[in-house]
Amino acid sequence: MPPAVSTPPAPRPGVPRPSALLLALALALCLAVPGLQAAGPGPGPGPGSPGVPGAPPPGLLRQAARAALHFLNFRAGSPSGLRVLAAVLRGRAAVDARRTCRVDLEFTAERYDPEVADGRLGRCSARVVFRHQKPRPAVNVTCTRFMETSRSRREDFLLYKRAKRLRAPLGATSIPNSHGWIDPSLRPIWDLAFLGSSYVLWERTTQTLHYYMAQLSSVNQWKTNEDAIDFDYMVLLHEFSTQEIIPCRIHLVWYPGKPLKVKYHCQELHTAQEGSGTEEGSAVAPTQPNNF
Amino acid sequence: MKPLLGTLCLLGILIPEGLGYDGSLAQPRREVVEETGSPWQSLDTYSYTRYHPMEEIYQWMIQISEKYAGVATQHFLGMTYETRPMYYLKISQPSDNPKKIIWMDCGIHAREWIAPAFCQWFVKEDRLWRKSRSSHNNGTCFGTDLNRNFNVSWCSIGASKNCQDITFCGSGPVSEPETKAVSSFVESKKESIVCFLTMHSYGQLILTPYGYTKNKSSNHEELIQVGQKAANALKKKHGTNYRVGSSADILYATSGSSRDWARDIGIPFSYTFELRDNGTYGFILPAAQIQATCEETMEAVLSVLDDVYEKYWNSDSAGKVTPATVVLGLLVSLVSIF
Repeated sequence: MPPAVSTPPAPRPGVPRPSALLLALALALCLAVPGLQAAGPGPGPGPGSPGVPGAPPPGLLRQAARAALHFLNFRAGSPSGLRVLAAVLRGRAAVDARRTCRVDLEFTAERYDPEVADGRLGRCSARVVFRHQKPRPAVNVTCTRFMETSRSRREDFLLYKRAKRLRAPLGATSIPNSHGWIDPSLRPIWDLAFLGSSYVLWERTTQTLHYYMAQLSSVNQWKTNEDAIDFDYMVLLHEFSTQEIIPCRIHLVWYPGKPLKVKYHCQELHTAQEGSGTEEGSAVAPTQPNNF
Repeated sequence: MKPLLGTLCLLGILIPEGLGYDGSLAQPRREVVEETGSPWQSLDTYSYTRYHPMEEIYQWMIQISEKYAGVATQHFLGMTYETRPMYYLKISQPSDNPKKIIWMDCGIHAREWIAPAFCQWFVKEDRLWRKSRSSHNNGTCFGTDLNRNFNVSWCSIGASKNCQDITFCGSGPVSEPETKAVSSFVESKKESIVCFLTMHSYGQLILTPYGYTKNKSSNHEELIQVGQKAANALKKKHGTNYRVGSSADILYATSGSSRDWARDIGIPFSYTFELRDNGTYGFILPAAQIQATCEETMEAVLSVLDDVYEKYWNSDSAGKVTPATVVLGLLVSLVSIF
């Protein structure tokens, strides 16, 4: 996949040209959220340093990186190959008249499982387009491999075999428990839960909202008698900027090497809206991540 | 650890007992038993690498103050909403001279278990519940976010007047008994308190004032410098990366926080620590990481104390050392079932 095409940087604010002023305003609007405050520039070196005109705030770049990685994790469909953000390297943002915010960035990623993480970082580049405060950012992402394709397929297949043999604790559960403990025999459940959640986390990430999977709170169904793993469960997602906990029910069907199928439904706590979504196969996104 | 010339105040801990997310009393139904054994009895066998329920922490405090009677004393701070007592540990060498005070609290948010674990480490649990347990709206709604309840730009931004929200700021500034107790104590000693640290999780951040505005405190540059030095010291231990900045800049807008309030009543060094991790486990940080987290955090806190010491003890014009007091408080707000 070709690397993201780089765009010219936004004109510096203050330049007295109407189009430049509009773009500068739009860039500011890219970040402003009524009632919430987007993370602004932080101190110290790094991308988006304050005082550099036109530089996007590092908060926005991190949002884009997270959205890209959730999307990548979902598309890859590999529970043993899940990645999380390590550090943003560089990036830029541009906003159009419809307040669509396009972010191009490079960042490093590491393996999700801290016990397995060996400090090795993958390098990623991505283009992420946030429609103004709407979910489902468009993502185009490439990352370098952590390991050879054959090895990652092997690890997925081993996980699959362990999952097939596993008798999951049905009903309400706490994984991890309050002490942060996940029984090693239950690890495949956690990894698959996170894989399914990746779809939800990608869909819900905006310029200002980002989520983590806090806990697996119940296993409604764990069917392994057919070829694929059929897994229906509840997770608690933690939204960082509002600090809210959001319960979501997720139903996934997974077979190693095949695209992940996901359905979900989240409860919104006191707004009337509820969020839900379905993804089947690979029909939707225009590009495939090339990480294998 | 360098001999304490001062008194350290440690305040921390809201631990819900078996509180499930939905508010029911839920012992985890299929808890894998990895740590059993008889209830802990003696200080010698106390494990600092496990999470402890509130009774054990109380017992620990008592035993600490008995064993180190000359140095550590337990004091009553006030009562929680559920009329449970709150205590703080005052750690200081006996002295006739007036002392400067350093305050540290851990666990003002109930779900951030690694924070009180650190407080205990520093001296020698609904699980995801954040707020206090006060009742509102005729008992139809529970809990104030205590870290939005302090009297500093109260409820102006980043907080909610709706009790159902997780950042509910309370019925008014300092409306909650827990906030009143901390405020009264700190206010009464504010001339002597030079450093105020509040320990939270997660995010791996060292936050300076303010959250309620992007304006900076008068000593912002210095706070950043000291904070960055602390983050560097922390990173040397196990390689963990912490970011340093004002809350409004690198986190999100908040009003009514203890850190901002402490700064605005004149305490010069005021920080929020957001401990491990970065979201992989979040609030439910594995107990296996307690040791490493506490070791590295210790380096950071000591670094801050070093800088504070440099500033307030070495520059004493009379040439004599002004002893300091460290007050360690445990903000106890036991939660129980709905």
